[in-house]
Amino acid sequence: MSRRVMILLLILAAAAAGVVVPVFHEPSAFAQAPPSKAKKRAPAPPIAPPSLPPETVEADVSTRTIAVTSGYSGAEILVFGTIENSRQPSAESGFYDVVVVVEGAPEALMVRKKGRVAGLWVNTSTFNFNAVPSYYAVASTRPLEEFADATILDENGIGLDAVRMAAAADSAIRVSSEDLIAYKSAVTRLKQSASLFKRDDYGVVFTGRSLFRATIGLPATVPVGPLTARVFLFHEGKLLSRYQSRVVLEREGIERWLYAFAFERPFLNGMVAVLLALATGLLASAVFRRRIA
Amino acid sequence: MNIYLPIAEMSESVFVLLGMGAAVGFISGLFGVGGGFLITPLLIFTGVPAPVAVGTSTAQLVASSVSGAVAQYNRNNVDIKLGVVLLGGGFLGTVIGVGVVQILRQAGQFDLFIALCYVLFLGVIGTLMMIESLQTVWKARGGVTPSMRRPGEHSWVHGLPMKMRFQRSKLYISAIPPFLIGAFVGFLAAIMGVGGGFVMVPALIYLLRVPTNVVVGTSLFQTVFVAAAATILHAGTLISVDLVLATILMIGGVIGAQFGASAGSQLKGEQLRLLLAGIVLLVCLRLGWDLVITPSEIYSLASPAGGS
Repeated sequence: MSRRVMILLLILAAAAAGVVVPVFHEPSAFAQAPPSKAKKRAPAPPIAPPSLPPETVEADVSTRTIAVTSGYSGAEILVFGTIENSRQPSAESGFYDVVVVVEGAPEALMVRKKGRVAGLWVNTSTFNFNAVPSYYAVASTRPLEEFADATILDENGIGLDAVRMAAAADSAIRVSSEDLIAYKSAVTRLKQSASLFKRDDYGVVFTGRSLFRATIGLPATVPVGPLTARVFLFHEGKLLSRYQSRVVLEREGIERWLYAFAFERPFLNGMVAVLLALATGLLASAVFRRRIA
Repeated sequence: MNIYLPIAEMSESVFVLLGMGAAVGFISGLFGVGGGFLITPLLIFTGVPAPVAVGTSTAQLVASSVSGAVAQYNRNNVDIKLGVVLLGGGFLGTVIGVGVVQILRQAGQFDLFIALCYVLFLGVIGTLMMIESLQTVWKARGGVTPSMRRPGEHSWVHGLPMKMRFQRSKLYISAIPPFLIGAFVGFLAAIMGVGGGFVMVPALIYLLRVPTNVVVGTSLFQTVFVAAAATILHAGTLISVDLVLATILMIGGVIGAQFGASAGSQLKGEQLRLLLAGIVLLVCLRLGWDLVITPSEIYSLASPAGGS
């Protein structure tokens, strides 16, 4: 009896190890193109199979609404994503480079340039852009120049040097190409100092073999409306995959309401200001007169 | 603790703003002036866009002048009829002023214009006040009392048509000069955010020979209404009145004014004027300096719709 049991156990063990053939289910499970999870778990295959599934990237944005309250001085949104079929051994390996670009809707913009007139600095010339992103933030795992060449960055509108700015035709005709570059770099510089354009060279962090995240700061002045979040996956300078997601930003809170009120009911806003002023002035004189008397 | 100003579109420390309102309120209480000529440049120095600085300052002006106006009215120191004529001109001047602001803003020259206006006005007024108060101090030391300037009995003002009788001021003069004075002051209120008392008071005394006891009251009466009109027009056509900013400045202002008034009673008139002249000239120099020195950034951004 014990011998019969022994044999049975042996057969079972062999079957479990996949050595013995007389099992019913899917004998070719490992030979065929497997689902991705099985591949990852395979105990270190000696040679990489000829056709690896391509890596793809997916991402999402954490916040949909920004509350503009009286203490508002900017908000943060989190862009997080994952690499399908990630081949990097660990979060720290630096196998992939990820770039996150968050961009606001394009808007018309006017640039003014000062010149010296009779000893005073005066706005002397203007230049119009038909479309400049209201907001542009780029974050990456390391400085863009270290892993991608200028052409590929420019083609995909990645980086502060590659922000799409469409000059108005009448303005573009008037100025030389050097002046155009000067105007464009002035826009970038001024928007950067207003925190409306920003780059963060180490802003994307891997938190796992395939998970990554980036925190993007939005200043108080960020225009409401649609934001586009684009995510690019690079490996050794090659663009492997990209992903795009849209977010509509809304501002809420009393300050937002006041802003809307001022623009939608401008005269009423003025009357409220006057009433407020009259009340403050009269109240103060009443209060202080009583205190003195 | 920062507070977000929705129309100025900036975040600023609430204590800085309160302090600014209180300081200007203190000065206005100390010297009995409106303080608009200080609040507008101070806001511009803080980074508030020039149109918002002017628009919000007009709202602050309503708050700082209304209590004085009511007090003067209760003491029967307001010539309502004269005030109404001044006001008629004031409204016209305000409408023109806001129109001028709009045009200059679209042309991108409003910042320059406001700076030049302030440098000119503060420079002239500061210098005149400085000279006058120095002379007074000098003469007081020499033991000679300064004689009040008395202009000729009749001036060109009395030859104009459309004469009206202003009972409270005991005057029978043409309505045209007060109307024009009112218009000019209204214009100043709209473009500079100032009450214009520094123009109105001397003009009423020396040009129209209005008795001094009704000058201040009538001037304040006109200021309240002109500033209110300027506030509504600024908000309505230029969207340049920031309610949050205005509220903070008003609260700081009315409190500061009370302390200023009690401090003012302990100082001599000519010393006060000398001090005020110094402050006015400092603000003037600071504004002028910004126009002359090479700016660190010669480019600026604006929205083509006519933003700041």
